[in-house]
Amino acid sequence: MDLSQYLNMMRDPAGLPFYPIIFQLLMVLTFAMHIVMVNLVVGGVVLAIWEKAKNTPFSHRLTKALARMITVSLSIAIVLGVAPLLFVQTIYDPFWYTATTMSAVWAMFFLVAVAGAFYAAYTFYLGKLGAGNPKTTFALSSYVCVIFLALAGVIIHMITMEQTIPNQWKEWTVSPWTGMNTTGFIFHGIKLGRLMHFILPSFAVTGVFLMIYSWYFQPRSDYPQEYLNYVAEKGAKMALWFSVFSVGAGFWWAGMIPKDLHFLSNPFFIVGAVAGLILMVFLAKAAMEPVKNAIPAAVAMFVVIFLMCYAREALRMAYAGAFGYSIFDYKLNISWGSTLLFFATFIGSFPVLYFTGLAAFKAGRAEKGQVVTISPSAGKLALSLMVVWFVVVAGFGVVISLKNGTLF
Amino acid sequence: MYPFWEVPFFTSGIVIALIATFHILPCHLATGAFWFSVYVERKAVRQNRPELKEFVQKFTLLILVFCFVIGSLTGVGIWYSATVASPRAISGLIHNYVWGWATEWVFFIIEIATIYVYYYTLGRIDDKSHLKIGWIYAWAAWISMVIITGILAFMLSSDKWLQTGGFFDGFFNSTYWPQLFTRTALMFAIAGVYAVTVASRMSDEKARHEVVRTAAVWGIAGLAGTAVFMAWYLYKLPEPAKELSLGGGLPYLGHMLTAAGVLMGVIFLYFLVVGLIRPQFANVVTGIIAMVILFAAIGAGEGFREGIRRPWIINQYMYGHQVVGPDLPAKAIKSEVTKFQEEGLLKNLYFVPDEWRDSKDQEIIVKTGRILALHQCGNCHSFEQEGKIRPLPPLLADLQPESPDDLAGFLDSLGDYPYMPPFAGDDQDKQAVGAYLFYRVLGNPMVDNGE
Repeated sequence: MDLSQYLNMMRDPAGLPFYPIIFQLLMVLTFAMHIVMVNLVVGGVVLAIWEKAKNTPFSHRLTKALARMITVSLSIAIVLGVAPLLFVQTIYDPFWYTATTMSAVWAMFFLVAVAGAFYAAYTFYLGKLGAGNPKTTFALSSYVCVIFLALAGVIIHMITMEQTIPNQWKEWTVSPWTGMNTTGFIFHGIKLGRLMHFILPSFAVTGVFLMIYSWYFQPRSDYPQEYLNYVAEKGAKMALWFSVFSVGAGFWWAGMIPKDLHFLSNPFFIVGAVAGLILMVFLAKAAMEPVKNAIPAAVAMFVVIFLMCYAREALRMAYAGAFGYSIFDYKLNISWGSTLLFFATFIGSFPVLYFTGLAAFKAGRAEKGQVVTISPSAGKLALSLMVVWFVVVAGFGVVISLKNGTLF
Repeated sequence: MYPFWEVPFFTSGIVIALIATFHILPCHLATGAFWFSVYVERKAVRQNRPELKEFVQKFTLLILVFCFVIGSLTGVGIWYSATVASPRAISGLIHNYVWGWATEWVFFIIEIATIYVYYYTLGRIDDKSHLKIGWIYAWAAWISMVIITGILAFMLSSDKWLQTGGFFDGFFNSTYWPQLFTRTALMFAIAGVYAVTVASRMSDEKARHEVVRTAAVWGIAGLAGTAVFMAWYLYKLPEPAKELSLGGGLPYLGHMLTAAGVLMGVIFLYFLVVGLIRPQFANVVTGIIAMVILFAAIGAGEGFREGIRRPWIINQYMYGHQVVGPDLPAKAIKSEVTKFQEEGLLKNLYFVPDEWRDSKDQEIIVKTGRILALHQCGNCHSFEQEGKIRPLPPLLADLQPESPDDLAGFLDSLGDYPYMPPFAGDDQDKQAVGAYLFYRVLGNPMVDNGE
């Protein structure tokens, strides 16, 4: 049995319940959302340590704000990460499952590392805000958080990279002397260029976050204008310079990719690279008025991240294609009903998230002690949608159960 | 087959079981807690009693720190552990229920958004809007249970799906509704234990006793519901599962069910004594003890649910050793048991040294047998004499085999046991596995027979 036969034999026999392009699109989109939050956590915790060391009133205040942001971002990052994890298993199952079983112990340790980072982040946040501020706890927890995040990042990078070099799997896993390696300790494939291409954007994304932070708190009288300017200018500089470094790391990594994959002439890569260059020019201009340009910068940054994620997906397709695997050859068993269930739920969630977001936005912008009123109609719609979802699905379920004779 | 991850003495299955048990507590708390929290907040708003909001704030913080760290991570952890322990099984579920999981994910997003906004906007937005956010969270969290229960129940009773391959035919199966109601009732009991514990830290004594009592009543109602719906669930079990568990086919399953029932009885006493009769006994220590008992009860209950599926990992579709059982014409899926019995498993394995495939060397045959045995037996059995999870050596020793051929012959009869999958391989595979089990697992000396 050769590698191509193995890859195609290991596709799930049930096939896909919808067209692979949709899963691919959702995988890239949700990964882009996930990685933005991961970037915020990594960039936020490192910046917090940096600002703490400066020990000025503004840097002290910014550290406190970042500490809170990190815990929330990490929660959201974990939840957002569920979707790309689901979709990668759907269309690249032979790659994902082979890499994770070979490196099972590391995959398990990834969870420990994320949990460690999470609790360190909470200690960092609560320790910082608590009376008496135990400085050692604060400092230690922030470093522990960084270490755990780095470990988690390296592990998930390794598992991803292992999937791109399936021609080496057998060499790592079996030998005529020892048989099959079943320890789960296999660890291969670190590529520093690609790793840096994930780490450096963290500081660019955090820079954009600082610009938005400054814009958001403009109406609040308890946020001095000098402080908000300090944050905005720092954010604009970080966004610009770390975008430049990220592009540099991207080209460094691209140079390591096998030439026969022709990645540098791949249209997805070209679009992503051009968008990255346009973003740099825009950020240079935005640095002159960072508060005014905060929202356009955030939108532009997300678009570029999304395009770069698609470029990486195009590279993955090229790697897999070299071994005779294409997601577009996947057997189909179309399930219109469940596809409708997902998309109706997905679209139906927008008003719910709008109401929730509106409440957060208004409450955060209001002066301290002020109680704000949120749109009652938006709230009513949001809550009604939840109830309607349940009534429709449960009603449908009862009908199906009665029809199939499974209810009683 | 994928590469194999071996966990000596325990099997990789125990890793899933541990993570899953750790997941049940926070995830059921996350689904049940807010119904109670919003109930208390509503009371605070309607009766203008701000002292009750202290509970709401403390309770929500606990849910944030506990459920959204341990809960969400162990949720992802179940996927990771299932991925490394039973990759083909999780793949089978995902390829049938990917849209179900994706729909659940949408509710996760709503949950995470609403819980943070709920916590940080308490006292900063109008009461009605704040309550609405609480209700939205409560619905979203419970709906995530409504969804995942369909996939869990499908693993035990796939019913009509076997004929149609339809998403909803498998989802709304015969154990779905009783399992959903059981879990729903249980979530109130779990929320009750946590609420009693958190309420015991309230500063206002009158409010503290009031919330403790109310939480205990919710908890008792939850336990009563759990008992009633559990009886319905047991009644609805597929016949083979009933035979295995209630009919004494595998006595340990009955013991687990009994243990879960007894431990839930202890929780009932906790609610009765600490919650209703002597609310002053409610404190963090008694709360933690109750949580440990709950953890054990849930572990036993989930162990029962997992155990009664045997020999299937997905009922009537995929066996415990991750091999597709019968044909499934609705999805154009062919039996892999038949395929491997005809073609041989070894010929269908990629992760085998090529030099070993046709070797006549007895040592190599034994080593090949180990790889095959891992795929056939390693998911459920440890191979060590001192193994903790269904160790093979004592089980095989009971058969008193006199040669590898005896064990190869025994493999033929595996499918006759109601809780064992058939051996999915040809005669060459059986000889190799028989040799490995005889010489390595049982430790018999290898005799040079001139081959």
